Amino acid sequence: MNAATKTIPVNRDVKAELRRQAEELRQQFARHGTLVINVLSSPGAGKTALLEATAKHWAGQRKMAVLVGDLATDRDAQRLAPHCPVEQLTTGGACHLEIPLVKQGLEKLGSDDFDFLFIENVGNLVCPASHDLAEHLRVVLLSVTEGDDKPGKYPKMFRTSQTMVISKLDLLPHVPFSVDAAIEDARLIQPELTTISVCSLNGDGIADWCDYLDECRQSLLSPLWTTDPHSTAQ
Amino acid sequence: MHEASLVRSLLRQVGELLVEHGGESIVTIRVEMGPLSGVERPLVEIAFAEQVDSTPCRGAELKVEEVPLSAICRECGNEFDIERFRFVCPACESTRVRVISGEEFRLLDIEIRQPQTESVSREQP
Repeated sequence: MNAATKTIPVNRDVKAELRRQAEELRQQFARHGTLVINVLSSPGAGKTALLEATAKHWAGQRKMAVLVGDLATDRDAQRLAPHCPVEQLTTGGACHLEIPLVKQGLEKLGSDDFDFLFIENVGNLVCPASHDLAEHLRVVLLSVTEGDDKPGKYPKMFRTSQTMVISKLDLLPHVPFSVDAAIEDARLIQPELTTISVCSLNGDGIADWCDYLDECRQSLLSPLWTTDPHSTAQ
Repeated sequence: MHEASLVRSLLRQVGELLVEHGGESIVTIRVEMGPLSGVERPLVEIAFAEQVDSTPCRGAELKVEEVPLSAICRECGNEFDIERFRFVCPACESTRVRVISGEEFRLLDIEIRQPQTESVSREQP
């Protein structure tokens, strides 16, 4: 005789527990006044260069830190170390960061007294799109050398981002890339996308980018501040 | 390819449900995915086949339900399937749409085999 079977209804996202942890951490950061920014792109689009330029622009006027994810090496962390606190998260081959690795990185940073915490994700326009890292803002970089047709090819990445930074603007005269076409393609997927164009090497657009981050910190976090955060608005 | 880690998480959760419900083994695991779930069905199936027999879910069958990417228009209330990732309402052309299915990788239900107990015979002296 067959053993009886029973169907147990579950109906939940497989990532529900990780999402819960991310939400808890996001609220904790918000209460401390730390805006968390998940920075994503394909490899070599200029994530580290953007963060270097950001740190140089602020020049200590904002407290920023970076958690940087890579499959191997600490090269990006070495580049950023002269400018701000940084911890390398080495995934050991995994193609994306997940919340437990972010938590380890936070412990190593040893402080949560930051205005801005950047999480530089593994260079990849696919898998990282599916993983909530407790960010308040998801920023995808698209460099002009990649082509203006990329948003439609990686819909989840652009759909889940709030901001698109078009990078390497200085190369625009040399490549067949239309900024307008890239923005139009991305906004078909994410109509509310904010777009900013920068050249991290010569500093073009970096002031706009930094002003935008200040505005985001104010608008996204101030309703949640429980005490006076370590405000930059002196 | 992050399907391997998602399947590992799925199997761990199903293993916990098996213990919680006092089951003997898992017969089927039914999951749902859609165009924006961020997982590819063949890769999920390969990862499942590779991992399942080294977990308490050994022997379980994975059933995958594919759902379309659907949305509801915040302007006119129209419900529609999104074609080619263009998030525009076909009725009123608004871009203010909310996705209602097809962007998650969901565990729908599990079928467990219950242990054959002797309680029946004990209850009938």
